[in-house]
Amino acid sequence: MIQLTDVQKYFYRGESREVHALKNINLTIEKGEFSLLNGPSGCGKTTLLNAIGALDSVDSGKIYLDEKEITTLSEDERTLLRLNEMGFVFQSYNLVPVLSVEENIGFIMKLRGFDDDVIKNRVHEVAELLEIENKLQSLPNTLSGGQQQRVAVARAVASKPKIILADEPTANLDSKNSIALMNMMRRLNEEEGVTILFASHDEYVIESVRRIIKLNDGGIVED
Amino acid sequence: MFRLILKLAWKNAFLRLSRTLLVVIMIAVSMSMMLSIQGIYDGMTSNLIDKTKRSDCGEISLYNSHYRLNKNLDNVIKDAKGIEASLNERPDVQAVVRRLSVDGLSATARKSAFSSVVGIELDDEIAFGRFDQFLVDGKLELGKRGALIGKELAKTLKVHVGSKVIFSTQDSSGEINAMALKIRGIMQTSMVLDRSALYVDRRHLERFLGVSDTVATQIAIRTESSTLQATLQKAYPQLSVMDFLELNPMLKQMQDMMHIFNSITFFIVILVVFIGILGVMYVSVLDRIREFGIMRAVGMEYKYIRREVLLEALFVGVVGYVVGAILGLLSLLYLHHYGLNLSQFSEGLASFGLDTVLYADISPIYFINTFLAILSASLLSVLLPLRKIKHLNPIEVIKAET
Ligand SMILES: Nc1ncnc2c1ncn2[C@@H]1O[C@H](COP(=O)(O)OP(=O)(O)O)[C@@H](O)[C@H]1O
Ligand SMILES: [Mg+2]
Repeated sequence: MIQLTDVQKYFYRGESREVHALKNINLTIEKGEFSLLNGPSGCGKTTLLNAIGALDSVDSGKIYLDEKEITTLSEDERTLLRLNEMGFVFQSYNLVPVLSVEENIGFIMKLRGFDDDVIKNRVHEVAELLEIENKLQSLPNTLSGGQQQRVAVARAVASKPKIILADEPTANLDSKNSIALMNMMRRLNEEEGVTILFASHDEYVIESVRRIIKLNDGGIVED
Repeated sequence: MFRLILKLAWKNAFLRLSRTLLVVIMIAVSMSMMLSIQGIYDGMTSNLIDKTKRSDCGEISLYNSHYRLNKNLDNVIKDAKGIEASLNERPDVQAVVRRLSVDGLSATARKSAFSSVVGIELDDEIAFGRFDQFLVDGKLELGKRGALIGKELAKTLKVHVGSKVIFSTQDSSGEINAMALKIRGIMQTSMVLDRSALYVDRRHLERFLGVSDTVATQIAIRTESSTLQATLQKAYPQLSVMDFLELNPMLKQMQDMMHIFNSITFFIVILVVFIGILGVMYVSVLDRIREFGIMRAVGMEYKYIRREVLLEALFVGVVGYVVGAILGLLSLLYLHHYGLNLSQFSEGLASFGLDTVLYADISPIYFINTFLAILSASLLSVLLPLRKIKHLNPIEVIKAET
């Protein structure tokens, strides 16, 4: 489903403090995977995840999403691709503070133009899976960190994207909330078949994924 | 989708309530002050114009074409009575008066001053311009030897109701003649007349000067027609038919000047509004720069974000406008009915023919113009904040969290 061939990424290309952030990455992610990009801090996990998520460009090599090359898209096309095909979960929850939990979860569906009824049903469905259905009318800042991150996951998963990219989703959570979140994400993966790719060096994430792609210094060292 | 954006804009505008309120108050206060100043300025000019029209030249005045250069009794309108009668027949003429005026010297035992005696028909003047309302002291009556005097002239001559004044001038045969007048009332009309005029009964003056009762120096007309002047000029080619502004270039200048003052005040207020909204929007956007970055990251198109920020600025502007319009209207209504009392400056104002209490005009144009200007100011003020979002790289924002 996602295929990377010979992907290279430099920061400050050609300058004296050049960073070769991704070195010759070849990688395939299949539909329905529950995988992890793992490795020490600064090894390129975020850079690789951003490249897959069409958030950032690469300097050479190709990335395909279902046969479609995404490395050559324009800025606007990438924005729409992210909206329609990707779901994102970041380290901090990044919910819209003035919208209720329900509106936050439905936000991307709304942007994609789903009908209000469809959005409402779907929001309730994922809220139940993520055990936040009794918080739907609350504002995000009245929720605990763990609950807020589950709202962020719900928002990413609600519009049924092809893949969810989760960068350090447990970094701000304690162990109990981390385990709970990983369990729920695993259930989403199993019950809804969503493809999820993590970037993390957190032990709870390592414990629950099915595939670990180990990076070091910008290259894949173990798969 | 639009509803979501509307909601975001509305909630964000009022999330930071104290900041938004501050700008709203700033807009409202400066706007209502501007409206009041505009109303007073306009009220001042229209008051002067109104008084000059009512007491002097109406919308249009007719003179012998030589009279305004050489004001002597050879240059009168010969058939004024006939012209007055035929003007009164016209449906586009609301009121007509004819006056006989002569320059000379007024004197008391101790003081003297150049002045004009104006022969009038009291009832006609009341119908023409509510002449009775100009009376500030004494009684509105003329009789055989009675006279009404302009307030400033009364001051110069140090006379009051009941005083005697001797007026001397050349009659139609060229002889210097004098008449004794008794002051019955004091009038406050327009600048020039207040300084120079003594009003007497027209018939009395005709006899004194030895002229026929058909002549006049001026025929003044009240009308709303804009074509009457041209029509009359064609009908009476031997006379000069002049409209209000030609006769009062000073008032025209004053009107233009007030217009410039108003424009400057308007511009300053709109600038204040612009800077206020710019400030609050800039800070608000900077505050939420992460939020916008995340929205871009998850795929929200820039045009929706732009729309949201625009709406937010509009909310602030429009709420400010509504509050300002209400405050401004209340203040204008007050100034319209009770006026602005400037009695401590009354000396200066009165010598300009102004009242010591100024009443504001109210015009819907004030509100329409301000609305359009505030709307434009709101829309322009988001350009700079929006640039911040447009050049935002979502990756940088996401990275900043770690
Ligand atoms: N915008 C950037 N500019 C310069 N260097 C960067 C930038 N982003 C990442 N890097 C560098 O690229 C390497 C990989 O970073 P990153 O992908 O964030 O690592 P990880 O997520 O595994 O901690 C690091 O050496 C980092 O310093
Ligand atoms: Mg990282």
